[in-house]
Amino acid sequence: MPASLPLNPDAAIIVRALSKRYGSLTALHSFDLEVKQGEIFALLGPNGAGKTTLIRILTTLMSPTLGEAFVNGLNTALHGLEIRRLIGVVPQENSLDRYLTARENLELHARLHAMEPKRFKGRIDELLELFGLAGRQHDFPDTFSGGMQRRLVVARALLHEPKVLFLDEPTTGLDPQSRRAVWDYIRSIAGEMTIFLTTHYLEEAEHLCQRIAIMDHGRLITMGSSAELKATLTGGAIYEIEFAVGSEHFADMLQKMACVAKMELAGRVVTVTLERWECLAEVVAALNGAELRRISLREKTLEEVFISLTGVRVRE
Amino acid sequence: MNMNGTLAIWRRDMLVLRRSILSEMIAVVAYPLTIYLAFGIGMQGYIGLVEEIPYGLFIAPGLITMTAVNAAYNESVWSLWFHRRVQFTIETYRVTPISAAEIIIAKILSGFSHGLIKGLVVALVIFAITPFHFPLTNIVTYLAFLIPGSALFSCAGVICGTLLDKPETIGRVEAVLIMPLIFMSGLFFPLSSYSPAIAPFIRLLPTTALFEGARQAMVAGSFSTPFSANLCLSAVVTFAAAVLIFRKKLAE
Repeated sequence: MPASLPLNPDAAIIVRALSKRYGSLTALHSFDLEVKQGEIFALLGPNGAGKTTLIRILTTLMSPTLGEAFVNGLNTALHGLEIRRLIGVVPQENSLDRYLTARENLELHARLHAMEPKRFKGRIDELLELFGLAGRQHDFPDTFSGGMQRRLVVARALLHEPKVLFLDEPTTGLDPQSRRAVWDYIRSIAGEMTIFLTTHYLEEAEHLCQRIAIMDHGRLITMGSSAELKATLTGGAIYEIEFAVGSEHFADMLQKMACVAKMELAGRVVTVTLERWECLAEVVAALNGAELRRISLREKTLEEVFISLTGVRVRE
Repeated sequence: MNMNGTLAIWRRDMLVLRRSILSEMIAVVAYPLTIYLAFGIGMQGYIGLVEEIPYGLFIAPGLITMTAVNAAYNESVWSLWFHRRVQFTIETYRVTPISAAEIIIAKILSGFSHGLIKGLVVALVIFAITPFHFPLTNIVTYLAFLIPGSALFSCAGVICGTLLDKPETIGRVEAVLIMPLIFMSGLFFPLSSYSPAIAPFIRLLPTTALFEGARQAMVAGSFSTPFSANLCLSAVVTFAAAVLIFRKKLAE
């Protein structure tokens, strides 16, 4: 896309033909993306897909080899300082200062943003309360649980009230309760700021985000809502059939049917993938006489979409 | 340039120093004091006068200077390495609206402050246990060498902390480069001990300018303009190199 095209004023993030090369390795290939103001947007991809490179360019930590990126209309290559005033960043690592207390960590961040003490003191109280850390504000982060440390990192990123929040795998390593607490907070601020999230937890993207992009090998593969992405998954309907008895016998029979693309047996439950949903009548007819407990349609998951697009092989 | 970020990071470093000052001081004072007791007092009777002054007096300015510049170097190198490689706080600073130069100046200032504070403490201890007294003007002249010297070593520490990724390499650089440069500069012996063929090269070293200039200032109250110019120029060049190297490394 030519760089001279006018910028969409409704977009908080615009990425145009962005490429990044590290020697012979190309981390981003002519990447294009737009994230709307106030949107919660997820970027998914296997390890090494280029997610962190993209976030590093958008947060002005790195320059692209080719192409342009804009945050709130400001070019990342030209307006780094102005962009950093507008953004909050939750990096993959906790990056808390272990020699400062929780409150001092927040105070340092406020001073780096040139906030006046009168303004930041109240804001720090508010955030510590909100994230359940007020009682531990004078303790050092090393004495915190992983969940508390992560909450403190999120609080730090929100201290200066950013317009765009970048969350790079914000809940990695958290227990389910802490993860839900972070999700609840992200949901509560939705609309106030644009949130750009990368995650390995597909459930997280599905729960939180209005739009999801999947990237691999530095390229954008697909983008849309969770429902839209699931709809793109090819193949017929998947049904789970639970038998009271004789599941092995019926599994053998179903396996031989032409309209059954795939069959899996797990105890009394047979999972069949049909070539087309119209095959269901044929399957039901074949099950005549069977002692059935349940037949249910299994919804496609985002994980299946992700695996179908990026493959099952483990990345180095 | 706005120095807001520099001030915030320097304040952070001073807060951390204040918390650990007592435990740090014990270690800081112990090393030069042991050397002083062993050489300045223990060997004084055997060595006698060096360049017409008692040996204890000859090595005292060098030990104070060594403490200050070592503290400046160590604070800068380890602080930068730790914040870059272990704690990732440099990344956190870099996504705030401050420039790379502000971060680097803060780290240089912190190293410099460590150097001055620790050098001062060792000076007070040495002054307290020795019969030597120095006029205030001598001490002010001495500071004219100690201040750029601490800045020079702080910048050198920043360069090493930026370039070296492994802690063991940092230790090796100190053992192979920093300490030999300090010892070659005539900390324990007069420069006249060098052969005439080598002496001019040794006198060109910034560490020689620092240690010899500082000794002349404190003991005799004299100010060596060539040594001062050498030291200040070296500090400015090292500062520019530190800023450039830091920016380049972070851009990678």
